[in-house]
Amino acid sequence: MNLISGIDVTAGALNAQKVRLDIVAQNIANAETTRTPEGGPYQRQVVSFETELVKQLPGEAGQTALQTVKVGGISSDTTPGQQVYNPQHPDAGPDGMVTMPNVNLAFEMVDLITASRAYEANLSVVKNARQMAEKALEIGK
Amino acid sequence: MIEPIFQADTYQLARKLLDATALRQEAIASNVANAETPGYRRLDVAPSFAQQLRSEMASGTLGSEPVKPTLMEDPTARTTRPDGNNVEIESELLAMNKNSVEYDYLTQVVSGNLKQLKMAISGNIGG
Repeated sequence: MNLISGIDVTAGALNAQKVRLDIVAQNIANAETTRTPEGGPYQRQVVSFETELVKQLPGEAGQTALQTVKVGGISSDTTPGQQVYNPQHPDAGPDGMVTMPNVNLAFEMVDLITASRAYEANLSVVKNARQMAEKALEIGK
Repeated sequence: MIEPIFQADTYQLARKLLDATALRQEAIASNVANAETPGYRRLDVAPSFAQQLRSEMASGTLGSEPVKPTLMEDPTARTTRPDGNNVEIESELLAMNKNSVEYDYLTQVVSGNLKQLKMAISGNIGG
């Protein structure tokens, strides 16, 4: 048992949410990128989370264990991007149409806010756990 | 005369409940961490712990057997989300605050018991 209970669970969550924020930043940064090493326009990246068991002590086998969270994978959103008529664009096709990345800024902003709120919620859990540990140290004073 | 203080029901109960409260904090940390994990079911302290304490209280055998709080998936939590996750972040944060007040209270009970013992030893009311 930790002095600050649940700290490793929360640490996993903070890491995962930070990866999500990084990916949102990457998506917004590449909202206009029409050329990538793989060819074609940039594809929006999506983070998925999965649970991960926190190490179980031998005496606790069979009990429901704590689960932290980790980034399960980062995958590409394969929905086709918007076609824009822009014949001056270097990546325009013979018909003058350019395929833009499938990044929707509104979605990204919502994701950004959700991720930062989730980050804050996890931070408040650590803060609370810390206060509890301080109270435990005050026993007998 | 020392034993009765450490075997007093309030002291024994407070000790056991401190364990349970610390464990609940871990469960809440796990729930908040997994608030967006598809298919995750919220954890809580198993109700068998409270039942066991209650029956020991009733039979007056408190502290004779080791009662250990354990975690289990909360069978009462419903899900309203398409991803099968049943964590509600608001109620988790509320539960966390409630839990922390409970913990403060329990540490005070334990401290109070120890202070009484100290007072009895030293005879010094000022502490």
